Amino acid sequence: MKFLHNITAVMRRELRLMRQRPVYMLASVGVMTFCMIFFLTLLRDRIPQDLPVGVVDLDESSLSRNFIRQLDATRIGETVGFSSYTEARKALQTGKISSFCVIPEGFYSDVLANRQPELTMYVNTLYFVGGALSYKELLTLANLSSGAVQREVFRAKGMDDNAIMAQIQPIVIDAHNIGNPAADYRAFLCNALIPGVLETIIILVTVYAIGSELKHGTSRHLLEKAGGSMTAAMLGKLIPYTVLFTMIGIICDLILYDRMGFPMAGSIWNMFLGTFLLVLASEAVAFFIVGTLPVLRLSISISALYSMLAFSLAGFSLPVEAMPPYIQGLSAAFPLRHFYLMYVQEGIFGSGFEGWYTQVIALMCFLALPPLVYRRLQKAYIDLNFPRK
Amino acid sequence: MIRILTYIGQWLSDWYAIFVRELKHIFSDSGVLIIFFLAGLAYPALYGIIYSNGTLDDMPVAVVDESGSRTGRKFLRKLDATREVNVSRSCMNMAEAERLMQQREVHGIVLIPSDFEERLASGQQAGVSVYADMSSFIYYKNLTMAVNMVMLDEMHGIQEARLSDAGMGSMADRLIHPIRYVDTMPYNRAMSYSVFFLSAVLLIIIQQTMYFGVSMLSGTMREEHRSFAVMPDRLQGRGISRTVLGRGAAYWLLYMGIGIYVAVLAPRMIGLPQNCPFGDILVLLIFFVSACVVFSFTFSTFIRHRETVFVIFLLMSVVCLFLTGFSWPERSFPAFWRWFSYIFPSTFAVRAFMNMNTGGAGLAMAEPQITALTVQIIVYYILSCVAVFFENRIIAHPESAQYGFSCRPCL
Repeated sequence: MKFLHNITAVMRRELRLMRQRPVYMLASVGVMTFCMIFFLTLLRDRIPQDLPVGVVDLDESSLSRNFIRQLDATRIGETVGFSSYTEARKALQTGKISSFCVIPEGFYSDVLANRQPELTMYVNTLYFVGGALSYKELLTLANLSSGAVQREVFRAKGMDDNAIMAQIQPIVIDAHNIGNPAADYRAFLCNALIPGVLETIIILVTVYAIGSELKHGTSRHLLEKAGGSMTAAMLGKLIPYTVLFTMIGIICDLILYDRMGFPMAGSIWNMFLGTFLLVLASEAVAFFIVGTLPVLRLSISISALYSMLAFSLAGFSLPVEAMPPYIQGLSAAFPLRHFYLMYVQEGIFGSGFEGWYTQVIALMCFLALPPLVYRRLQKAYIDLNFPRK
Repeated sequence: MIRILTYIGQWLSDWYAIFVRELKHIFSDSGVLIIFFLAGLAYPALYGIIYSNGTLDDMPVAVVDESGSRTGRKFLRKLDATREVNVSRSCMNMAEAERLMQQREVHGIVLIPSDFEERLASGQQAGVSVYADMSSFIYYKNLTMAVNMVMLDEMHGIQEARLSDAGMGSMADRLIHPIRYVDTMPYNRAMSYSVFFLSAVLLIIIQQTMYFGVSMLSGTMREEHRSFAVMPDRLQGRGISRTVLGRGAAYWLLYMGIGIYVAVLAPRMIGLPQNCPFGDILVLLIFFVSACVVFSFTFSTFIRHRETVFVIFLLMSVVCLFLTGFSWPERSFPAFWRWFSYIFPSTFAVRAFMNMNTGGAGLAMAEPQITALTVQIIVYYILSCVAVFFENRIIAHPESAQYGFSCRPCL
């Protein structure tokens, strides 16, 4: 009973601190709001539209103009005319266009005379999404225009349209994108980045909250409030944050999967569970960092370095299996990695408990970290024997 | 004349004193040293290791061949031969393949339907179904590329066979390829993710570590009731330029060193393409580092406590990274974010760096970015001077601080 009383006393103290110092709310609610608005509006097109595609039309025939019109009509491309190859190359090198295509002189007459003219395409592979998409688009178009020429020939031979289609394109690919039918780049990125933002916020704010007691020398006051019990002090301190972070995480889940309607094969309730575990695991990591290094200035720098790496090692941009073997194991040291794997099972495959229970276990393993440094932090809290500055 | 010379001499000696004082501050602060040196030096190397293979070769996929036909097998054999994909499992039915994908044993499924060969033989269109794991865009890209390439290749073979059956064998090639095409991807042939990501992230590291370090130091000084802007007393509130330039020179010098490591040596170590002469990159660095120094001075003005800068601004690094347009094209940015991106030196410097270092564009072609960086240098220099001016007003007249600037949020 006394224990509970101590916890509530500490909680009340913590809530007062959160009111007095705006940094806590700014760093959690403020930062998350900014990041949500940023990523959801920056990528609002879902798939880039109207990327500038350069055309150097040296032929200027009705056929080449028709080709340019077709290119314009695709969703991705918007053509920009250039008079020479050099001009177009410069625009490509400076990132003004994502690709260009040279239509040679005598293109039309060569097609008519069956001389197989050659289209040359240059793709700007300096920029990831733009480069990949315009490459795909140009390839499709080159094949389509070959198809158009073939169609005319077969029509002249008196074939019917079905037979012509079968001849022009004997094999068709029927593509299914599991977990993101529209290949929506925004949904893909936000699903991975927003939990990463959450993890970063949790680690930084938790380290800051625990460490600033040491920095300001108020840890003894905190322990006094907690009736001398370190456990009560830490529980009372972390419970308000746990509630706050879980609420932020669940609101983000609701915005992404409910309001924005991002694909979710499984149940959003399981995502809530995952979010809660991500909160606990990240807090445990933060506790471990500040417990190992009870000097706020150092532990906050280390936390910053650690949490930025999580974005890479979670493996959603470059998959972990493409990293060198000795780095692959390191990815397990980040709660975000396990959360991401759990999301893949639940959100993409909808596999439920059976698919992700190992990730739940992994996330819970992080909870074994705080006891390792518990005594050390307690000593630091009592003795204040570490440099404060 | 003599007065001017004395003034210059005085200016230089003040400048030097401030420069030395700032270097002392930097080197006596372990937190700042961690950020400048550990982060500045270790991050490029670490990212280089993580992203040392930018492509995922031989990604495992499962195939379900319901047709059991010769053409179907040929299609799958060709698929297996692509660089992108490795046919690691052959399944009896879709359920089995789906289970493998769910267990992440494979990242794609290719299904050849039972009527595949029949339809082809009877001159109809035949379909191939492809199921991509969308948990990473690289899986999707690999599978789509590999299947499309095999499809085009097979298609041409089929067309040729059909044409020669129809007695048009002599003109088959010209009919199948009435228009030929060559694709050239001059800078990053394999579309390696590393080249995109590392080129962008390297300069972000320079800007962010400098900003965090500068902010930590000015936060520390404020905690100790000092100010980053103290000027020698006898100047009576003048001498703003030597304060800003003296402090700036300390960071500038350090970061030209770190910058050369990050932008020139690190790319060599991690094997990024380097298609631009050292001199051109150096000029870009001079502009970028100068812009970063005054940018950091301007935005560290409001930092009141040393650690808050991380807690609040760490995630701006991710935001800055996306604002460079390395992934999502800048053309597709909403207007607001495009304007917002102009705040950061990294936006321009990264674009110039990618075009130059990877694309081989010369310095002359980076003119728009260099111009933008120059504008930033001027604007942020003026703003940092204004900040020093007001700081000194507060120090000189502490009573005015009660009304004016102490109302700032205590970050």
